[in-house]
Amino acid sequence: MKQKHLQHLYWRASFGIGAKEITHLKSEPKSKIVSKLLLQSNTYEPLQLDLSEFLEVKFKSNKELKEQFTALELQELKRKQQRKVKALNYAWIERLRQPTALLREKMTLFWSNVFVCRDNDIFFIQRYNNILRQHALGDFRNFVKAIAREPSMSKYLNNRQNVKRKPNENFARELMELFTLGLGNYTEQDVKEAARAFTGWSFKRNGDFYVKEKQHDFKEKTFLGKTGNFDGDDIIDIILEQKQCARFICDKIYTYFINPKIDKKRLEEITAVFYKDYNIGNLMEYIFKSNWFYNEENIGVKIKSPLELLVGIQKVVPVTFHKEQQLIYLQKMMGQTLLYPTNVAGWKGGKSWIDANTLMFRMKLASLILNNAVINLEEKGAFEDSFEKYYQKTKNSNKFIKTTKNWEVFDVENKERNASQLTNLLVLSKLDKDTEAFLESLQIKSNRNFCVQLMSIPEYQLC
Amino acid sequence: MERRDFLKQSTLASSLFFVPNFVKAFENISKNTSQHKKLVIIQLSGGNDGLNTIIPYTNDIYYRNRPKLSISKNDVIKATDMLGFHQNLAPLKNLYDQGYLSIINNVGYPNPNRSHFRSTDIWQTAGNSDEYINSGWVGRFIEKYGKNPYAGIELDDSLSLLMKGENMNGIATKNPKILFGNTNTPFFKKVLKQQTAEHLSEHNLGYLYKTMIEAKSSAKYIYETSKTYKSNFEYPNNPFGKQLKTAAEFINSGLNTKVYYASMGGFDTHANQVNRHSKLLTTYSESIEIFINDLKKSDTFKDTLILTFSEFGRRVQQNAAGGTDHGAANNVFIMGVNLKKKGFYNEAANLLSLDANGDVKYTVDFRSIYSTILDKWLQADDASILNKSFKKLDFI
Repeated sequence: MKQKHLQHLYWRASFGIGAKEITHLKSEPKSKIVSKLLLQSNTYEPLQLDLSEFLEVKFKSNKELKEQFTALELQELKRKQQRKVKALNYAWIERLRQPTALLREKMTLFWSNVFVCRDNDIFFIQRYNNILRQHALGDFRNFVKAIAREPSMSKYLNNRQNVKRKPNENFARELMELFTLGLGNYTEQDVKEAARAFTGWSFKRNGDFYVKEKQHDFKEKTFLGKTGNFDGDDIIDIILEQKQCARFICDKIYTYFINPKIDKKRLEEITAVFYKDYNIGNLMEYIFKSNWFYNEENIGVKIKSPLELLVGIQKVVPVTFHKEQQLIYLQKMMGQTLLYPTNVAGWKGGKSWIDANTLMFRMKLASLILNNAVINLEEKGAFEDSFEKYYQKTKNSNKFIKTTKNWEVFDVENKERNASQLTNLLVLSKLDKDTEAFLESLQIKSNRNFCVQLMSIPEYQLC
Repeated sequence: MERRDFLKQSTLASSLFFVPNFVKAFENISKNTSQHKKLVIIQLSGGNDGLNTIIPYTNDIYYRNRPKLSISKNDVIKATDMLGFHQNLAPLKNLYDQGYLSIINNVGYPNPNRSHFRSTDIWQTAGNSDEYINSGWVGRFIEKYGKNPYAGIELDDSLSLLMKGENMNGIATKNPKILFGNTNTPFFKKVLKQQTAEHLSEHNLGYLYKTMIEAKSSAKYIYETSKTYKSNFEYPNNPFGKQLKTAAEFINSGLNTKVYYASMGGFDTHANQVNRHSKLLTTYSESIEIFINDLKKSDTFKDTLILTFSEFGRRVQQNAAGGTDHGAANNVFIMGVNLKKKGFYNEAANLLSLDANGDVKYTVDFRSIYSTILDKWLQADDASILNKSFKKLDFI
């Protein structure tokens, strides 16, 4: 397999590929490499934080908690739990940096922006995150049904409040609009009928799913032209009968993994593949094994998400952050903080990552984490903050991102490389003549230095 | 005819050679303090308690629901026989007395969302509560009428959805020197120096270069222009005061920016609200007063409209922690010269008729305010920016 094609595959299926790995794989054919990539991703290893400090409060009712703790203690416990969501953010990024199941982890990140959810409850959101990971390459039907049963999702889209006497349409609506079909492929009446089918779907205190029979509407519903005594699972089955559902998901897959500019014919091609069995792994294998995936027009044309940028740099030079809070800061400044999506529609991605401020920040990222560059910009405060805290960061401007850089890893792989080899390794996008000339004019002090410079040109923003 | 207008017209009519020096001096001023209309948007972030800001001091329901939090009748700065200002809002009452303030009550939208994130989203995108839009209404305005990122400036270090269009965005800075410095590192300079227009045709790569060039030129323009005016007003020594001072310097230096946006944090008062909220109102009103004085001194207030909103109001009933929880409709402040409707624009909240959560129901859609400002103040086609036509109000 050609180096460039390998890099393309690994950038889309993961966060890039190192020089050593390229040498290792170069001689093998595409089909073998792709099969191996999928095989490696068969293992599902959940992300688990140590939450033992919360055993006393875990899954307890408010009443029980109030008997056990004072109001102040409860507030503190709640805050502590919420901080753990940040810990999960770090742990997730750490996982992305060094996954064993490369494709599974990249797909988990992808799905987290399809089935968008947010929850302050660390137990539930960790569980949710692992549901994404578990189903990331599996059967889409089971996936949607599992999502519909998750406590975090039930809370986020108010399905808990969805009861026979007063249906709440929120989950049913987003299920169709954002998760499976897209606007214009169902009617308002369909939303109402689907909401009825999900009435009573709730969860126990420990997060396990159950149906409150008294709240469930067992009567007949007419949904997308079919009539019956449907429940939530039936609704999901009927949705999946629509080819539009396969197309909707493939549209997202195409944009994320292939090209932000969609080739309609190719989209129909992969839609047909997906519609056959709704198997996500099969779909990805088909895409990565097809010849057209490696066409010139698909390579180096996608704007990296902030996470792809952040993790991609660390794939070349491993970095340890001393202050985990600074990792959150970087995400916030670039507009993508894992586990904290702004709304259920998720991040739009592509060009919307880029504005004057984020672009300048992104181009400075490599020197911030690899070169001790100073940064004097502050993140926004949070809604919940007091006035003082909202602006707190103003006091310590001119900060460094404190990291330990493992340049030795980079050196071992790249010490002997010349400038053009290093450029080819780090930059996938077409290099413009002007930029090329500029790079050639640079006096290269060291490969380390040149690496940071390469990571600071606009082309590096693409993969 | 106003003296100023006369001078302006006479300079146009007469040949430059015959213009006396003092007229030339005026001409320069009018050039610097450019005449275009400016909008300053302030978000009270976290959900301001509108009922303890503008107080229905004769309403028993208000007092019954807030035994610990209500502002006693004697403390209220009375404005009408029903409504008055919080005691720390004397500067605002002052503006009210001068006819510079219009208060629109019960502003909100159908099916209110009580999440900070989502409701801010809705206010910033001008969408419905079940609609997800990826651009802000100011961003769309900038895209259509601005042509340059600096047409919209957020006084912060990162850009909110409010200021993002589809292909063109505003720019964020609370310190133009830092912004300029960051776009002018030796390395970036060199990257751009080599640049011909060739890149710009490439899809995403072209977009990156275009954004980079715009960022650089916007930063340079903002820095070099705003340098020419330094405010010598003493703003309250806090970050919000600083944001407004910077905004005043931008406006008074004649920066060709149409919309400014600043967010003031701290309004999420779930607990121990009384002191916290009082302090916030002091900070807000004192800063606003000085800001307006600053503008007035440079004669730019007449071209500036200030809109203050919060993503939601707070529940009528106090909670157990001495605070209030997230509510729905709220009051919005409009400040400027020559307001059409000075003082209270409409009736106060009807506390007898609350929604199922016990929150104030909306009677004015917030997008009616946007459409009025777009149409009557910024002279823009409001329907194309808001993707829909909304009933216009007549506060300006």
